[in-house]
Amino acid sequence: MSGVRRVLGVGAVAAAVVAAGVAWWLRGPGPTAFAEGPTVALADYRGTNPTGVPAALAQASLVERGEYLARAADCMVCHTAKGGKEFAGGLAFALPFGTLYSTNITPDKDTGIGGYSNQDFLNALHRGVRKDGARLYPAMSYTSYTYMTDADALAIKAYLFSLPPVRATPPANTLGFPFNQRWAMGFWSAVFNADTRFEPNTAKSPEWNRGAYLAEALAHCGECHTPRNIAFAMDNRAKFAGAVTGGWRAFNISSDSSTGVGAWREEELVSYLSTGHAAGRGTASGPMGEAVDHSFSRMAPEDIRAMVVYLKSVPAVASSDLPAAPAPAAPASHKEGGGAALAQGKKIFEGACASCHGWTGESPVSPFATITGSWAVNDPAATNVAQIVISGTARHTPQGVLSMPAFGKIYSDTEIAAVANYVTARFGAKGAQLTEKDIVSLRKQAAE
Amino acid sequence: MATLKINGEQKTFDAADDTPLLWVLRDVLGMTGTKFGCGIAQCGACTVHLDGKAVRSCVLPVGAVKDRAITTIEGVGDSTAGAKVQKAWLDLEVIQCGYCQSGQIMSAAALLAATPKPDDADIDAAMAGNICRCGTYVRIRAAIKRAASEG
Repeated sequence: MSGVRRVLGVGAVAAAVVAAGVAWWLRGPGPTAFAEGPTVALADYRGTNPTGVPAALAQASLVERGEYLARAADCMVCHTAKGGKEFAGGLAFALPFGTLYSTNITPDKDTGIGGYSNQDFLNALHRGVRKDGARLYPAMSYTSYTYMTDADALAIKAYLFSLPPVRATPPANTLGFPFNQRWAMGFWSAVFNADTRFEPNTAKSPEWNRGAYLAEALAHCGECHTPRNIAFAMDNRAKFAGAVTGGWRAFNISSDSSTGVGAWREEELVSYLSTGHAAGRGTASGPMGEAVDHSFSRMAPEDIRAMVVYLKSVPAVASSDLPAAPAPAAPASHKEGGGAALAQGKKIFEGACASCHGWTGESPVSPFATITGSWAVNDPAATNVAQIVISGTARHTPQGVLSMPAFGKIYSDTEIAAVANYVTARFGAKGAQLTEKDIVSLRKQAAE
Repeated sequence: MATLKINGEQKTFDAADDTPLLWVLRDVLGMTGTKFGCGIAQCGACTVHLDGKAVRSCVLPVGAVKDRAITTIEGVGDSTAGAKVQKAWLDLEVIQCGYCQSGQIMSAAALLAATPKPDDADIDAAMAGNICRCGTYVRIRAAIKRAASEG
């Protein structure tokens, strides 16, 4: 071998080693790696089976069990367009590199997944590969669903196949080069998709294991709440530390006692997940509101509790841009408190917002409309305040639906920025500095 | 059957928990003084008091009222502030078409009960959510000031 060849050969090996090292570093720990203690294959686990459906459904039909699991995995929210037929796809995901549309997962043979065999379905859910062999983008959260058992995945398939087929083709994706090269996702998957099933941790309680399975393999909390690395994969070094996804901020749900949920009582977390509200902690809106409506509110109480047990065990990571604690209620008089200099925002607030939210932030109408204590008004970026003003919100409470109208078409971008700045200045720890341009950007990021 | 305390009286009626309070007042109890305007808490025509605070009854599920005392336009004259507001409204002939005025009076009475001597900014803060298509805003402001000045 000539000297040049040898140098090239050594260089190639060195490059491959470096690339593997970078990939290994980027990949980071798995979603449950924080929990020390031995894990075993599910078949070897002696505790209560952490997978499957709650005890009350143990004798239910395959389709009924699949329905429960499909809800727990919240398939419907992403696979249903606004105003569209359920599971028929077409929901837009506005990403920095273009727009993706969710697919039709009804059993229609031509436009849905009616031609999928069991193995085809598992390939999509566990490995991100379509029936025709093309790669899925990780907007489909297969790096989470990969932890689901075959039995649970196939129960979901049985449920989907029990639904009426809908003939509907979603719009074509508008990704630019190189992101439109689906085959390249094979490399991404090789690094970032574990392609392994859930393994119980024998040092933890059966309840914790059930919670881990539900939160990771089904509810896929991390897809919104875990920050992403430069390759757009979840970075579990900052697990559940919060991230902006689809133009909404998914707040820190690690056990950090000030900016996470470490100081929340278990009952508060149970209430927030099952009703979308916990007194003094705020009310779920936007994507989390949808997750509550379609998924968490339909889950068995013991499953909600198991997820709370798991959530409380996730290591604390602080959000440095949030205040150490949410601001207390604002003064009763409109003349006192923050935002005094923000005349335009105040004018909009007094006309459109004050009658339900009050001048203190504690609603005279319902605790669900109280904004005091929520992270949304304490986020100096005001991301969710602006989004809720734009799109409104509706909460299904035990007493009926409480809703806030969407102001996105009524107020200009400048006005929405002004009211969001006023609301964060008055009810939060620090006022936002949003401009018209920020609102244009937030509107674009939100899924339609 | 459910019970609400309205204008000091216990009223019993049959309605689902998620029925907006405004529907119960108008359609079930026949108390039509409170008006329907926009249905999304953006015009103020449906304003009533819950424990003395002005709220929009069109977006309030009746099941969320619980034991809080309701005051409507039919009963607001029994309070000191309400009586003063009604007198000032008549003295200055505030009303034009009148559709929004139940709500205007309810918001004004709640304002005076909390802030007996309101300045213009206080009036803006309390009344901006009550829309009047006839544009009686100038007389509304004057009437609130007159009511405040009556001892």
